[in-house]
Amino acid sequence: MTRAVWKSVGPAGPTRVVCLVAVLAAVGLLPWLSGRDPALTVLRARSAEQEATAEALAAIRDDLGLGAGPLSLLGSWGSGLLRGDLGTSWVSGTDVLPSVTAGLQVSLGLMGAAFAVAVLLACALVAPVLVRGRGSAGAFAAMLAAVPEFLLATVALLICGVWLGWLPTSGWAGPEYLVLPAIALGVPAGGLLGRLVADALPAVLDERWVELWRGAGVSRARISAAALRRVLPPLVPQFGMAAVGLTGGAVAVETVFAVPGIGRTALGAAKSQDLPLLQGSVLALLALGLVAGALSALARRRLLGPALRDAGLTLPPARPVRTHPAVPLTLAALLLITIGWGLLRDPFTVDTSARLLPPSWAHPLGTDGLGRDVLARLGHGAASTVGTAAAVCALSLLLSLALGFLPGVAAGAADIANALPPVIVGILVAAAAGPGTGGAALAVALISWPPLAAHAAALTQEVRASMFLTAQRAIGASPWWILTRHVLPSVAAPVTRHAVLRLPGIALALASLGFLGLGAQPPTPEWGLLLDESRAYVERAPWAALAPAVALALLAGLAVSGAAYAEGRTRTRKGVRGESGEKGTPVDV
Amino acid sequence: MNDAPPHPTDALLDVQDLVVRYGAVTAVDHVSFTVDAGETLALNGPSGCGKSSTVAAVLQLRRPDGGEVRFEGRELTTLTERELRPLRPRMQPVFQDPYGSLSPRHRIRDAVAEPLRVQGRWDPTGPARVTELLDRVGLNPAYGDRFPHELSGGQCQRVGIARALASEPRLLVLDEPVSALDPSVRAGVLNLLADLQDELGLAYLFICHDRAVVRHFADRSIEMRTGRLVPA
Repeated sequence: MTRAVWKSVGPAGPTRVVCLVAVLAAVGLLPWLSGRDPALTVLRARSAEQEATAEALAAIRDDLGLGAGPLSLLGSWGSGLLRGDLGTSWVSGTDVLPSVTAGLQVSLGLMGAAFAVAVLLACALVAPVLVRGRGSAGAFAAMLAAVPEFLLATVALLICGVWLGWLPTSGWAGPEYLVLPAIALGVPAGGLLGRLVADALPAVLDERWVELWRGAGVSRARISAAALRRVLPPLVPQFGMAAVGLTGGAVAVETVFAVPGIGRTALGAAKSQDLPLLQGSVLALLALGLVAGALSALARRRLLGPALRDAGLTLPPARPVRTHPAVPLTLAALLLITIGWGLLRDPFTVDTSARLLPPSWAHPLGTDGLGRDVLARLGHGAASTVGTAAAVCALSLLLSLALGFLPGVAAGAADIANALPPVIVGILVAAAAGPGTGGAALAVALISWPPLAAHAAALTQEVRASMFLTAQRAIGASPWWILTRHVLPSVAAPVTRHAVLRLPGIALALASLGFLGLGAQPPTPEWGLLLDESRAYVERAPWAALAPAVALALLAGLAVSGAAYAEGRTRTRKGVRGESGEKGTPVDV
Repeated sequence: MNDAPPHPTDALLDVQDLVVRYGAVTAVDHVSFTVDAGETLALNGPSGCGKSSTVAAVLQLRRPDGGEVRFEGRELTTLTERELRPLRPRMQPVFQDPYGSLSPRHRIRDAVAEPLRVQGRWDPTGPARVTELLDRVGLNPAYGDRFPHELSGGQCQRVGIARALASEPRLLVLDEPVSALDPSVRAGVLNLLADLQDELGLAYLFICHDRAVVRHFADRSIEMRTGRLVPA
């Protein structure tokens, strides 16, 4: 038994380490990976009036130590890191470490407040489930969890900051500056936490012991407390992942509210090609994620106690929230109609006499700051946002099917990919390859394949362990026959469905990169970029910002309701199943 | 009871000093037995004694760590997987779990036809052959269009037997074929196996832990305990 456990966990360990080292090396090698000559950038930043002569550039190159090869670069960066020296900024010429620690302090404050918001929200979502004893707040919570931080931040800024004028919207000068960013960052995380607990609770409350306790007259409060205690340990690792997600969300939220945190520092450094500062701040963000993961592992251990550590406590399968097919269908129809309508119009015609017009028959969603039709840009933007997402999705699917046959690799890579928010990968790719649609697609593809591959690997293992494959070998079937007739058909269909369900999520990740300026470049009508562009004149033309915001919210809703509907269907269709794998490999030890 | 014949090479299946190890644990420890053409040898023992490991090693589904497995006079343990493939149909398993041994995504008809397709014997007479096989194991051929989960455990076990027969074997290795079935269904499957043996001259290596069934069904029996044969 312990052997089996070791076998399932073992190979993932080394892959995890290899992936982590690869990420660290990628960070360390950024100046070499980017391949472009940063000397010019540095020269401009330091002394704008100086002529870009060959001597001046060569002097800067020597100064930065760019002449050396990648290995010595990595070596000197690594040894500096061990000494606590993160180098000097190329742009300002100051030490990186103080900027990183200053940013980290601000970000930690923000994340702490956001975590408090998340916990409060999660409690609010879970409370009705505990009070009623059954039912679930899952659908609403899932909706909140799917809204990307940059969207929520923009909407919060628009409503509370600009229209109502309740709270300051930019800067970091007092506690009131903390409220909006903390809400924008904390609500999606709270939705995720609340959903996990609210989905797991009804099944736990149906367990036998609850009936027994009720019969014995134990109070409802004590049963609720025990049920929560029962639900939490298996979910704690997911809480850790939510904390990791905060590091990615921090980049977007800090940018929107101009909070001088580590995320904004990283983004600014990536945009100005200040690689030492970028290395330092990305490293800090990664460390935050790893510490969060380690803390959640520790918490799980404390909750379970040493005796239960290996076997853990598995939760009963959650009963999925049934979604009526009309919900995803309506959302999809709304999006398709808008996109189709917009596609018929011209997104690039600049008409300076028609700037920032309110919605009218000529321009159903108004015009933007250059007099371009917002509806047309929304429709054409779908092609670049959703089209790229589809390509990324197909690529991840192929990769996961190819690598799903190596379970250890898939699991280890999935662990690291879960610890890397898309925004941080996007920053790294943008720093190495320059911002663009291709780079953003690459960044999202890099972290969207491992979960699919882990799913494919789990299914492959399940099929391989089943008795009917043994029977196949016994009738003399070749490995190719078994693979193509039995293994692939059982793996490909569910993994493809999983990939399709991830499509809206991938589109949102791409949009968030576009919003941060790391994806598609103007004048491409990309949804995230549309939202970002409209922020500049949001007071005068709120509809220009609302249109892409609503489109993204619809997409998020589609992601959630589609997934819930598909999950409900597979659960009800499964019906009778033999205990395949129980006697899979004849190990009568 | 274990009266080995003086010329072991005459036997259909001749297993000598079979060893199967899992790491430091020896699951099968120098086990020897023979099965003659047309006879039933019962391999009897409590669960965890190494019966299933013996089955896997005899069928070369898990290569043994020592000993010889001679089938129809040919030594199997030294053959490569590719050399073994054409010989495999002659020796077919029937497993304990009736549902798990059939692919949940294939119809009964396709499951029974698969050996014919895999072994390159599928021709225009194929569908008729499948119908004949289903009929032979006492299943209404109309069930051919169903999926395994639409059948009872006993019916699935009959499908498993039909699939094994499709390979035209000389030896069936029956790994607790009736342990998962209801007592009422059990007798029907055992009778079917007895009829098939009379009709087709099949030899059975019959794994079982129920002594009553063994007495009723087997010509000879051997007993295993913690990986070794013990005197009955």
